[in-house]
Amino acid sequence: MTTFISFIIKEARHILRDRRTLLILIGMPIVMMFLFGFAITTEVRNVRIVLVSSSIDNRTQKITNRLDASTYFNITAKTSNTDEAKTLLKGNKADMAIVFSPNFANHIYDGEARVQIIADCADPNMAIQQASYASQIILSELTSVGVANGGALIKLMYNPRMESAYNFVPGVMGMILMIICAMMTSISIVREKERGTMEILLVSPVRPILIIVAKMIPYLVLGIVDLIFILTISYFVLHVPIAGSLLSLSAVSVLFIIVALSLGLLISVLTETQVAAMLASGMMLLMPSILMSGMIYPIESMPVVLQFIAHLVPASWFISACRKIMIMGVSITMVWKEVCVMTIMAILLLTISLKKFKKRLE
Amino acid sequence: MILRYLIEKEFKQIRRNAFLPKMIIMFPIVIMLVIPWITNLEIKNISLLVVDNDRTTTSQRLVHEMEASNYFIFKGMSSSYDEAVKEMEKGNADIIAVIPQYYSRDLVNGNPTNVLIASNSVNGTKGAMGASYLSNIVVPSTGKLPISVLNLFNIYQDYKVFMIPALMAILLILFCGFMPALNIVGEKEVGTIEQINVTPVGKFSFIMAKIIPYWVIGLVVMTICFILSWAVYGITSAGPLAVIYLLAIIMALIMSSLGLIISNYSSTMQQAMLVMWFCMVCFILLSGLFTPVRSMPDWAQYLTEINPMHYFIDAMRIVFIRGGSLFEIMPQFMALMSFSAVMGTWAVVSYRKNN
Amino acid sequence: MTAIEINNVTKHFGKVCALDDVSLSIDQGELFGIIGPDGAGKTTLFRILATLLVPETGAASVDGFNTLTMMRDIRKRVGYMPGKFSLYQDLTVEENLKFFATLFDTTVEANYDSIRDIYSQIEPFKNRRAGALSGGMKQKLALSCALVHKPSVLFLDEPTTGVDPVSRKEFWLILQKLRDAGMTIIVSTPYLDEVRQCGRIAFLNKGKICGVGAPDEILNEFKDVFCPEPLSHSDEAKLSEDNDVIVVDGLCKTFGTFHAVDHISFRVHRGEIFGFLGANGAGKTTAMRMLTGLSQPSGGKATVGGYDVSTQYEQIKKHIGYMSQKFSLYEDLKVWENIRLFAGIYGMDDKEIASKTDSLLSRLGMSEHKNTIVKELPLGWKQKLAFSVSIFHKPDVVFLDEPTGGVDPSTRKEFWTLIYEAAAEGITVFVTTHYMDEAEYCDRISIMVDGQIKALGTPSQLKSQFGVNNMDSVFTMLARKAQRKSD
Repeated sequence: MTTFISFIIKEARHILRDRRTLLILIGMPIVMMFLFGFAITTEVRNVRIVLVSSSIDNRTQKITNRLDASTYFNITAKTSNTDEAKTLLKGNKADMAIVFSPNFANHIYDGEARVQIIADCADPNMAIQQASYASQIILSELTSVGVANGGALIKLMYNPRMESAYNFVPGVMGMILMIICAMMTSISIVREKERGTMEILLVSPVRPILIIVAKMIPYLVLGIVDLIFILTISYFVLHVPIAGSLLSLSAVSVLFIIVALSLGLLISVLTETQVAAMLASGMMLLMPSILMSGMIYPIESMPVVLQFIAHLVPASWFISACRKIMIMGVSITMVWKEVCVMTIMAILLLTISLKKFKKRLE
Repeated sequence: MILRYLIEKEFKQIRRNAFLPKMIIMFPIVIMLVIPWITNLEIKNISLLVVDNDRTTTSQRLVHEMEASNYFIFKGMSSSYDEAVKEMEKGNADIIAVIPQYYSRDLVNGNPTNVLIASNSVNGTKGAMGASYLSNIVVPSTGKLPISVLNLFNIYQDYKVFMIPALMAILLILFCGFMPALNIVGEKEVGTIEQINVTPVGKFSFIMAKIIPYWVIGLVVMTICFILSWAVYGITSAGPLAVIYLLAIIMALIMSSLGLIISNYSSTMQQAMLVMWFCMVCFILLSGLFTPVRSMPDWAQYLTEINPMHYFIDAMRIVFIRGGSLFEIMPQFMALMSFSAVMGTWAVVSYRKNN
Repeated sequence: MTAIEINNVTKHFGKVCALDDVSLSIDQGELFGIIGPDGAGKTTLFRILATLLVPETGAASVDGFNTLTMMRDIRKRVGYMPGKFSLYQDLTVEENLKFFATLFDTTVEANYDSIRDIYSQIEPFKNRRAGALSGGMKQKLALSCALVHKPSVLFLDEPTTGVDPVSRKEFWLILQKLRDAGMTIIVSTPYLDEVRQCGRIAFLNKGKICGVGAPDEILNEFKDVFCPEPLSHSDEAKLSEDNDVIVVDGLCKTFGTFHAVDHISFRVHRGEIFGFLGANGAGKTTAMRMLTGLSQPSGGKATVGGYDVSTQYEQIKKHIGYMSQKFSLYEDLKVWENIRLFAGIYGMDDKEIASKTDSLLSRLGMSEHKNTIVKELPLGWKQKLAFSVSIFHKPDVVFLDEPTGGVDPSTRKEFWTLIYEAAAEGITVFVTTHYMDEAEYCDRISIMVDGQIKALGTPSQLKSQFGVNNMDSVFTMLARKAQRKSD
């Protein structure tokens, strides 16, 4: 037991002495939470509009004022012809153009008055939303003078500001735990191989399993510390509610941490150099954990083959379980499928890597 | 011409590496073939519930139009809004349309009337897109309307057109950022950098010899991407390719300088890699690559101004999608040029031969 | 009683045969030496005995336990010190020791007696990080760590490479004591004075045991490998004094309050071979880094080839060559590619490089290895090649930092032949070494102690000045006076 504890102390010292790495491991989740929580949003906001109108009359002026007054749009330029507006769109100096037919106010009741919205479809999703918002506003103005009637009243439920935090918090948790538990563990084991200290550890009577477990524990602690940071920020700063029980959330997280640690162990067993371990964990763990876990892109909209692969990514199960518990507030019994899959993954990975772990050098 | 020999050496080392050449070829191929399918935010198959309080031929016609749209899966009619919301909470519906009472009468009489669209926006994009699609069906059906929409640039609204230039940018910064950083820290760890430091190789030559190979690799990667996007997706650049290559070279210079700066300040590979990774994530998230910059809060928008990636993505999209030329991207171009000047100088200065 | 029994052990790595039908038997309480050139299979043998590798054929036993089946018993009773420093660089001396003690389920206190002799020397620095220790100290700490659990068998793989003569003597005194206490010790070493202290030695070459016996017998039998005729060398100070290539006057380097180099002054004449000796941590490397323009002096003045080291260091770099033991060539490049790179750096054109490369390789007898990757060359060849590359551009001065560490005696002799050839062409050679026989080969030598030069002159001058008959004694007398323990 003393051996085990001194092993853990030794690992903890390695981590604590490399201040720069420690700073990043602690600081990264915090910065990421802020970026994902605030900066990553697809809310329609500050859209730059070019007005194209040969004459300004009170009708177009009213429409313009309405657009400008909304938080969605800013009128940033006025021109008299469409080509000029298109040039502005092309250079990304504006996001949308609104063209009024000539003498708009005079023709408003004879059906000759027309409005054209020119949308920049480089980002198709944003373009569709912006055009739809703009036409709502124009329409409501026209309705008020009786030119048009009917339309749509849009109500975005549960998340009216379209904040991304709800979606991202479980994702960021999955990603951070993957980096710390899988990547850092594998690098730290491989480093001992590279520096030659593994040789001495092997020649000692300590059981290899002890070496490995002792390596994992400090990273497990670090992972839990980061988890606490993330949850604190998400609760107090981003105001993401933790609807379900904290206990079941912790239980699922610990299970995921174990899966991540076993993955890290597997990588360290299979690689010989730090660079290889880094690349392997970066490409085989991190990329899929970000892109294919449903963190940003919903798994349902992927092609079937990729959906299949996505189900092999442990993070996708964790994120799904997390969302259910955290955001939707269901009890742990409702996530039995995710828990089962992760348990099986952990057992499988641990068995393989312990089988493969070499007690000798070759 | 010391530089020539140094560059030759870098290439030989890359070629002799068991892993790098394979990665340079395979990584972009995998990224270009797989990621566009994953990062697709084309929203389809939205479950729709309709509450028809009007029950006239007009309202039925509207319901039929909704049914016909291939964005929606029509889940049927619901008797009341409250009931529909319950269904949504169970997860059986993503969006609800409520046609108000007297809808057709109000339309004919010219009284204001609105169809209510309630969309589950826990996933913000999905919710908002569904609402937009639905309102685009509802609004024209209300009769003759003086509003029309003209789509420019990506007229088929193909999401891949939007993502492909972004993926190229990501690949470029991954290759040009990480590889030189790991390379220099590697030389530090082995000790070979010491040997170079006692030779008359100047700082500038040394740094250039580390940067130029990754320029070339960056351009090779770009070319692979262009070929693939043309051959697999049929997507080609709308603007001149030369401008894109020019941008790529400048961006490669900025990123590899960043890599060198980081490696000059870090002592181990692990440090260099983590710092680099951290920078990359911030750069990408704050570049407008996934989400529009103007949707960000003001403080984040100020941050994007000091992010070279932001200017690069902007310029790439202007040229690749909107068909702009050098003239259109002048501001971004100038910004990138000044970034490269600052970063390049910093890289050379921070490399210490003598302490 | 037999402590170690090796029967017909064979081991291949890919196509390379590391051990070929090796049989050996070592008695308990023996101090047994294993000698042989680089790549002879010494490390493989140690690893098989330490249960780290499994032999393909044959069997080995340690203390009566089979290495294959009774791994855990062996691992409890052996101490092993691999060739590479195997300490945790970011842990302190004390933390390292404590960690290795608990690894074997014991404590430093319980076994303090068994390591006192060696650990007491480094105990004053117990709060320093292992990475900041000098080579000799690291080795002493590594030995302490290997001994802390009172092993009955000790494996030491080249424990004293890069360690100065005084520290080596102390190190071997400890080994003798351990042997007297009944420990079985198997050690490999390239130093002949150490070989002579062993009870028996085995000569391993290309995976085969060529001979086992008393040191003198074996050294005599393979005289041409181990005891080559010393190089003949005239002992006159060369050339006129007004033609000095290196002029150092009151040069200082301080790190905080620590004076690594403390006002040293000396001159090196053109075409001279200047030996720059000193114990580990005496300040040699720091001084050399200043002279090669890698490091700024804190005070004093020095010129190399007429250029000031603190201001004109970029000029100096054009006129010097440099080779260190730690690194000399790019391991992942081919032989000719390395030559081409360094020749190109010094501004030669392609044609000149091509013709000179061929003549250089044929002179070294390495023509058929032109396309070999440097990593695959034996250490001795690498060092010779590295030296040739460092003087390829005909520099005024070439700086050699422990160029022959870990190299066997006959290769070292060949190396020194190359040095003489270079000196004859007018290249000044500035060399550091821990081999005292090499010190005798120099025209003049200086000995640094505690950052200061305590002796300077030709080998014979120094010997008569201190009234002894070899350089080793001169060095020992001076280095023992050191106030600050190496760091």
